Amino acid sequence: MAIGPGAKAELAPAGAKRKRRWAGAQAFVFLAPFFAVYVLFTIWPMLKGVQISFFKWTLIRKMEYVGLGNFSKLMQDAEFWASVWHSTIFVLLTTPLMLALSLGLALIANRHSRLRKLYRISFFMPSVMSVAVASFLGLFIFQPYTGLLNSLLHLVRLLPAEQEIFWLSEVSLSWIAITALTLWWTVGFNFVLYLSALQEMPEELYEAARLDGATNGQIFRRITLPLLAPITRMIMMLQIIASFKVFLQIYIMTGGGPLDKTRPVIQYIWQTGFRQNDLGYASAMSYVLFFILLALSALQYGFNRRKEAD
Amino acid sequence: MNSRRRWTTALLLSLALAASACSGGNEGGQGTGDDGGGSGDGKGGKVTLSSWTLFSGGDGDNMQAMIDAFNSEHPDIKVENTVLEWGEYYTKLITAVGNGNGPDIGISHTSRLPDLINQGVVSSMDDAAEAAGIDWSTFNPNILGATVVDGKHYAVPIDTHPFVMYYNKKLLKEAGLLGEDGKPVFDNTADGFVQLLTALKEKLPKNAMPLALPSANDDVFRLWWALYHQLGGNDVISDDLKSAALDSGKAVQAMQYVQDLFHKHKVIRLNDPDFVKSFQSGTAAIIMTGVWTTGVWESTKGLEFGAMPIPKIFDKEATWGDSHTVILPVTKKEDPEKRKAAAIFADYLAQKGALWAKAGHIPAKPAIFDSAEFKALPYRSDYVSVASTVAFNKPSEKNWQIRDLAMFKFLNEVWANKMSPADAAVKIQAEIDKVLKQ
Repeated sequence: MAIGPGAKAELAPAGAKRKRRWAGAQAFVFLAPFFAVYVLFTIWPMLKGVQISFFKWTLIRKMEYVGLGNFSKLMQDAEFWASVWHSTIFVLLTTPLMLALSLGLALIANRHSRLRKLYRISFFMPSVMSVAVASFLGLFIFQPYTGLLNSLLHLVRLLPAEQEIFWLSEVSLSWIAITALTLWWTVGFNFVLYLSALQEMPEELYEAARLDGATNGQIFRRITLPLLAPITRMIMMLQIIASFKVFLQIYIMTGGGPLDKTRPVIQYIWQTGFRQNDLGYASAMSYVLFFILLALSALQYGFNRRKEAD
Repeated sequence: MNSRRRWTTALLLSLALAASACSGGNEGGQGTGDDGGGSGDGKGGKVTLSSWTLFSGGDGDNMQAMIDAFNSEHPDIKVENTVLEWGEYYTKLITAVGNGNGPDIGISHTSRLPDLINQGVVSSMDDAAEAAGIDWSTFNPNILGATVVDGKHYAVPIDTHPFVMYYNKKLLKEAGLLGEDGKPVFDNTADGFVQLLTALKEKLPKNAMPLALPSANDDVFRLWWALYHQLGGNDVISDDLKSAALDSGKAVQAMQYVQDLFHKHKVIRLNDPDFVKSFQSGTAAIIMTGVWTTGVWESTKGLEFGAMPIPKIFDKEATWGDSHTVILPVTKKEDPEKRKAAAIFADYLAQKGALWAKAGHIPAKPAIFDSAEFKALPYRSDYVSVASTVAFNKPSEKNWQIRDLAMFKFLNEVWANKMSPADAAVKIQAEIDKVLKQ
């Protein structure tokens, strides 16, 4: 088509606009399938959950409107708060350990060594497992008589042959077992985040520090750690939210026992909804958990922004 | 041009995606439509029934064999079997029936039946049973009675699968405790059974334990339930199903007996991670568990075993047990023809008890005990008498919740020696009341 140079110049602004709209339409077409699924399986159930939480609602039927009844019941439900506390214990146990462990592994894997590839692969490998597989491995490691850990302890004579440690039947030992399993299983992802951050580090800072005669410890404390602060804050935030949602590995390894003393809040919600057929109460609990997490994230977000502004 | 081509590709791709999503949805829709609606509309008046079962392994194979036999013997009825995963079976059944997409035939445990009735998943099947000509007098009254609620039949029981005892003949013989008749030698009393176990402990090699039982949840609870009922207890809730009614003295006595087996006599391996395997591998002389394991022991190479009822440790014979029953879930369009066909199918399954007994279950129709086919199966006849002494749950819709939330929780503490039986009885009583009030 013959369009003169003048005509082209004239059309340009309108063309750019059209082009932008065009790009928007293209983007929408690409997003539409995901968006439809997202609305159907995430947004819609979330909104439905709000409605359900105001009713007595069994697995299949809406019974009656109870207003804030589910929420006031929840305030006095010692088992709910106990299970929230158990999830909190899990968060408090795993988050700091996770940060330390993933950073430590990243430092190891970042060193110039012939085993570098092996480190990277083996540290990341456990996280490709599904939660069920990882938890059953956990059972295999921690169970008495035939478990890996007790057998090992017997082998090196740390544990008398006649004695067994019941890792999964004592409350405090259970927490150790659950924490160890979770760290081993999920450290890979955070390890990769730290490793990529370490590889972004400007080499000249280190060179300058060495020229000034800084020791390795000083370099780590004064340069590496501060430069890792943003990624550390991000990992911490992700970790806290993810850890509050802990369920399956505890359910498989201890069933929440003994005496429900390791039962996390998600397990309690699931039991209420799908074992006791009380979806109304389960939804109310989910929303309270949601707001607790929201408040925590907001707090952290505010804190991080202040830190970054400094 | 270039961007236009890209745009076209994108459009085509997303259309393809959308199309495949739609067709997927359509298939699903048609499938459920068939399951729920389509009444006897097949050619030649053939009634097609959809059936949901929860059986896997040996049970699953036997069920499929019975369904295949039924289909070939009944040209006018076709049963289509869908096997669901056992852990989520009830949740799926309840939600599907709630949405009007349930099957025509389902399976329920007797203990779970009241919950399904209460949730409107199952309705009385007296009409269908009459149309199909089911003769209720052919069933064991104890097994059948547990499926009758308020005088109405809600299910056709096909078996009972009680808690029984198995023993390793080789180990008992080694210890000199196997009689001429191939049965363990002991006094059928509380002390007598303990003596048998302690004698075994002395005489068996060090790595073999006298009794295999888990230290938590189901099977050890079942032993407690058996002993509690041997003492004359009658479930843990009142007859009107509204309040806890644990007979404290009997409950404590039964708990003490089991706790002593663990901690005083030390005849059970504490926190055994796999008690079934312990018996299978010959590191336990006796095991108490459900009859569904008979098939497992039979297929274990080199395991010489015997089966018998739980010993009469206290005043009368009693044990824990449950039944598999066939139910007719509520459907959107109640079709008498389909319900009749389903009832015929249910009665057929009960009638085929000898095949079903292959996995170890006791048939619900006593006449089968005398059939040549059943007698040809070893071991089963050694424990069929139990069918009449099973202490079933009262018909409470909260049976499973009471078991999981009140019984397991505190009994597990007793077995771990962390709570006294008397304390546990008080706590169980309070917890049952709490569950019943919710």
